[in-house]
Amino acid sequence: MMISSLVAAEPTEGDRLFTLKVLPLLKEKCVGCHGREPDNLQGGLDVTSLEGLLQGGESGEPSIVPGQPEESMLYWAICWDGMEMPPKENDRLSLEETDYFRDWIAAGAPWPNAETLASIQQNEWAVAENGDGIIISTSGGQSKEWTYRRYDPADVWAFQPLEEPTIPVGYEHPIDAFIGEKLRQQAMTSAERAEPETLIRRASFDLLGLPPSPHEIESFVQASKKNPNQAWENLIERFLASPHYGERWAQHWLDVVRYADTSGFSNDWERSNAWRYRDYVIRAFNEDKPYDQFIKEQIAGDELDPDDPEKLIATGFLRMGPWEHTGMSPELVSRQLYLDDVVNSVGQTFLSTAMRCCKCHDHKFDPLPTKDYYRLYAAFATTQPAERSAPFLPEESKSGFDENRQHVETLLRFAKEKQDALYAKREAAARSWYAERGREEEYQPYEIRKKTPGGDKPPRFVGLTTQEEGELKIREQDVRIWTRRLERFEPLVQSVYNGGDLYQKSQTLRLPNLNNPKQRELTNLLPESNIYEGGDVYSLGASVTPGVLSGLHFATFSAETEKAFTLPETMDGRRLALAEWIAHPENPLTTRSIVNRIWAYHFGKGIAGNPNNFGATGKKPTHPQLLDWLAAEFVEQGWSIKNLHRLIMSSHTYQQASTHSERDSIRELDPNNELLAYFEPRRLSAEELRDAMLAISGELNRQIGGLPIKPEMNREVALAPRMLQFSLAPAWQPSRTPQERNRRSIYAYRVRGLPDPMLEVFNKPNADDSCELRDASSVTPQVFSLMNSEIATQRSIAMALRIKQEAMTPREQIIHGYRLCFGKLPTESMVKTLVRHYEQMVTYHQEHSPQPTTYPTMITRSLVEEFSGEPFEYQEMLDIYKDYTPDVQAADVSPEARAMADCCLLMFNANAFLFIY
Amino acid sequence: MNQTAMLNRRNFLYGLGASLGSVALTDLLASEQPTGPLAPKAPHHQPRAKAVIMLFMEGGPSHIDTFDPKPKLDQLHLKNFVTENKKLAGMTKGNRFFVRSPYQFKQAGNAGIPMCEHFHHLAETEVADELCVYRGCQAESVNHPAALFHMNTGNSFGGDPAIGSWLTYGLGSENQNLPGYVVMTELAAPQGGSGNWSNGFLPPSFQGTPLRSKGSPLLDLTPPSWKNRAHQRANLDVLHAMNQEHLSEHPHHDQLAARMENYELAFRMQMEVPELVDLRNETPATQSMYGLDDPETESFGRRCLLARKLVEQGVRCVQIFSGGWDSHDFIERAHRKRIRSVDKPIAGLIKDLNARGMLDDTLIVWTGEFGRTPDNTVRGGETAIGRDHNAEAMAMFFAGGGVKKGAVVGGTDELGAKAVDIAHPIRDVHVTLLHLLGLDDNKLTYFHGGRFKQLSQFGGKLIPELLA
Repeated sequence: MMISSLVAAEPTEGDRLFTLKVLPLLKEKCVGCHGREPDNLQGGLDVTSLEGLLQGGESGEPSIVPGQPEESMLYWAICWDGMEMPPKENDRLSLEETDYFRDWIAAGAPWPNAETLASIQQNEWAVAENGDGIIISTSGGQSKEWTYRRYDPADVWAFQPLEEPTIPVGYEHPIDAFIGEKLRQQAMTSAERAEPETLIRRASFDLLGLPPSPHEIESFVQASKKNPNQAWENLIERFLASPHYGERWAQHWLDVVRYADTSGFSNDWERSNAWRYRDYVIRAFNEDKPYDQFIKEQIAGDELDPDDPEKLIATGFLRMGPWEHTGMSPELVSRQLYLDDVVNSVGQTFLSTAMRCCKCHDHKFDPLPTKDYYRLYAAFATTQPAERSAPFLPEESKSGFDENRQHVETLLRFAKEKQDALYAKREAAARSWYAERGREEEYQPYEIRKKTPGGDKPPRFVGLTTQEEGELKIREQDVRIWTRRLERFEPLVQSVYNGGDLYQKSQTLRLPNLNNPKQRELTNLLPESNIYEGGDVYSLGASVTPGVLSGLHFATFSAETEKAFTLPETMDGRRLALAEWIAHPENPLTTRSIVNRIWAYHFGKGIAGNPNNFGATGKKPTHPQLLDWLAAEFVEQGWSIKNLHRLIMSSHTYQQASTHSERDSIRELDPNNELLAYFEPRRLSAEELRDAMLAISGELNRQIGGLPIKPEMNREVALAPRMLQFSLAPAWQPSRTPQERNRRSIYAYRVRGLPDPMLEVFNKPNADDSCELRDASSVTPQVFSLMNSEIATQRSIAMALRIKQEAMTPREQIIHGYRLCFGKLPTESMVKTLVRHYEQMVTYHQEHSPQPTTYPTMITRSLVEEFSGEPFEYQEMLDIYKDYTPDVQAADVSPEARAMADCCLLMFNANAFLFIY
Repeated sequence: MNQTAMLNRRNFLYGLGASLGSVALTDLLASEQPTGPLAPKAPHHQPRAKAVIMLFMEGGPSHIDTFDPKPKLDQLHLKNFVTENKKLAGMTKGNRFFVRSPYQFKQAGNAGIPMCEHFHHLAETEVADELCVYRGCQAESVNHPAALFHMNTGNSFGGDPAIGSWLTYGLGSENQNLPGYVVMTELAAPQGGSGNWSNGFLPPSFQGTPLRSKGSPLLDLTPPSWKNRAHQRANLDVLHAMNQEHLSEHPHHDQLAARMENYELAFRMQMEVPELVDLRNETPATQSMYGLDDPETESFGRRCLLARKLVEQGVRCVQIFSGGWDSHDFIERAHRKRIRSVDKPIAGLIKDLNARGMLDDTLIVWTGEFGRTPDNTVRGGETAIGRDHNAEAMAMFFAGGGVKKGAVVGGTDELGAKAVDIAHPIRDVHVTLLHLLGLDDNKLTYFHGGRFKQLSQFGGKLIPELLA
């Protein structure tokens, strides 16, 4: 026996480089196309052995020349020099990574044997932290390379426990200390405190989403002269106590959870009483519900207390995603879509973690193995969506129920009458069909006839023209739509229950019927949980049990160590245990997530720039110590969001001006204002814009909560036909009176398939994706909406009438309007310009008269019918317009009022109105 | 002004800025290179086409009854079978029977492309010889909205940018005063609505803009009738004065200028867009070529003719929907009517583009969201002569820029149940489409949600057999 075979040679630096750096990259980036399928090697190249690389691909040249990286085709290709490998931007190697290959080839391209490989790996994996980064232990990846890969600590900052930073000394306010210290390091200073007029407008939109009145501004300015800090504190307290605070901040939350009143996809069914969840969120903010409680109720309210309606309503969170299950989709796929959506939403909403990335493979950058995805998935495996019964609470508004029910019943009656007339015609023809054949006695009603096999019976649509065939289908679907809409008046709530898979169609989701033996059996069947290989529901991988994110190293409450990151495997209790883990004061993702969101809404950007993604690909925190300090302080103060507002808004950082005496040098030093040397101006959001216009025109009805309202929408869009499965969606009819429809935008009926074009053009996000922060782009269609639309025109006329009533002369009226819109007084030259314009416009309007608007009470709809392949028409009743109270119309007012409305419309379009400083 | 400020100033839809005031637009076009988001950008490689016209047959046209005849079904017609495949939707499980095509087929053009008897105009030799029929595409979902989203955006959940958004993001548009991506729907918007032409995570400048062929072409393009153009001008001048005063108080606020410029651009578009969509200037011969003189073809023909005008004006991507192809029942009459409604307009479009020398630069794509099954469900004991949804096989055709002429590529099994020859998923069609426009799907990416996203989602393969 030879000694050399017993004692392996000490691995060289090249061996180590290959084993620890080059080989994992080859496996991750190259083998997929160049080796995994030996019969299908792209370009004929096999990278799974040294021989393969030396031989090269179809070009006939070797891929590597040991010792000579510059001569090695592989090296050029991975540098994207002449050839581009791997071909996808996402897979492209970093400079550091291409250098590994260069150094390895330069070292002679050693390819150690399996034994050496294993020993190098084992030695490496035994060391938790070295110059290459840290190993994070998890429930385990799909490969050892993934399990033992190293992370740059900066990339996994969010997974680390909170730091306890020392507050820099020499500042009055802790926030200003953290911000000021960073500015000081760049030799920068904060801006001055903003003017009181600017501050009250900023705070009013920020906390209420509404403009301050001239009177409020005046008193705040006066109070500020006496004691600016006291005046500010009083102002914030007053705003936080306003019921409109909850409306404004609930909107932020609804953006994240993707609130809508309908389900999306082919039927876009109404999610009956989804509004109860919307109002729950508003109440939660107004009552300052502790955030840990807010989390638990939304994830597991039904498990906390199924008899408390409020808790059931809260679980509406688990019903927010776009989802449907119909006969057009396979059951397992629909179920997977639902659970994927819930897992993603929980990760994104509460943990600022993008779970979707690890559904098909271990996460590329974050310590999130696929196994953790399916452990979290298993936590919801017994969760079944259902509309459950929960009595209306005294604090829930039932205003408008009667009128609404009448409207639904009217449309149902209309559809039913039309349907029944067609049925009657068909059945008469069926009787004749039998009579003609002398078989009168064989006649059977349609439902029975339909189920009788055999061809010797009347055709399916006997007696109906192709036009009527199409119409019948429409009427039948309308009957289904309006019958279902009556659910609005039942105490239903969008919720969930625990049980086995029944695969109910999403048209009606209810608690299982335990009197039905089949349902009882299925609902008691505990679902099994597996990894789905590659995310494919038909490819079952290893089995998993419910669990939490293991890479966070923040354990659940099991005493046994091996169960430290697991959740109960019983039918009930999985979600509650998960919620308690998420809402635990020491869970660093949760606490950082919420304080970062609140910060982001106040400042227009988060401390960590992607509030939905704290992973390696999200923006890193600009002030990590401040973030951690805020998170700890937040928990300390009882998870109170209102206290967090107080803390943030009492800082100078929040109160500073949006202008800065050294703006030019700041532009060079900090072009994106990451250090917050000045307050970032922002454009009004879509809802703020609409709500502010209504508030200023005097039309806003400030009633809180209840059934969704339907504002006026551009009528071309409102009445445009829209395909649903089997039919067309009913037209958008606005609420009947101005009082009902001119309420805040958060109450507007949100139909996934029909976004309001005016809100959409001002960046209201679609309801299918979670929105972490609004965009504020400037696009030309905004001009068409705000300058030309009937809706903007109506607001301007109402505002003109208001200011004409509240001020005497045109000059005073213009000054009043200016203050209402911009929160300050106009310059004398601007007053002159506007008064002159008003006078010219009076002359114009004396010569140009508007026609009154007429509203259709019946519309002709047309679509291409799939039974016939031809366009066909039918009548749809617009019952609301039969007894409609329009908003004030141009045709109803004097030329002087229209001229003043021109000035008002310009104010609504002015940058001074659209932006907050 | 630094780069960021410059970009902000230019960050508005339909691109080109003009300085304020009323300088003629043409002068500006001559004097200033467009710099907005829709400014033309260099492709990744030599393109084969500059623009795309997508003809979308919503509902799922049957390949078996259009471009993929299956004589085997004649023998099996009305024969029963039962399937309980777990992967199927409720719709396609259970007691089923085969359905033969109700139509005769003919060999069209010099290439002898099989077409159903109701394609009269596409079957003309000069048209048929331009077509490249593809029978190998496979969808994934059999649910309309999911499949529509998949074909239009690459992602069956919706929420991602549409093909036209990616194209305008990658290439910009040749005309800065029109949207780069225009959509014209059927009488009713398709299932899934505007999600089918959404800009997704791309900036809003790349969103598909619905254009109406009757009434106001763009939403709220013009003010109420009692406000005339002089009134608009006078008001815009006062607005400008207000904004100017505001700008002087906030000289560092970059976003103000872009909003101000948008008002001037909008004012010009109010004049120009209605002229563009006015078809009265087209000769009677042209109108007739598109079938505008026949009620059966008028609606789709009008949209095809508008598509030609838009592409002529430099619009990058035009998408036209035709509805009503979801023939679960009565397929004989329903598909016959749908085929007749699009046959002449599409043939007219191809002939017109060819006559104008535009066909080589314009890629026409005809597709639905999936194909249809060779069989149907027995419902209540009755045999309905129609077909259900089929994600495994479908038909599409291409014409113009860079695709084979007079070709049939790929094939399905003998029943037409599944693509078996040159079979590719939708993503490969997307990769090929981008390739023809000079774009590499792997390079046309946008960083969003933690990774570089692309139309094909995770990459795809070119289908070389389709290329000329």
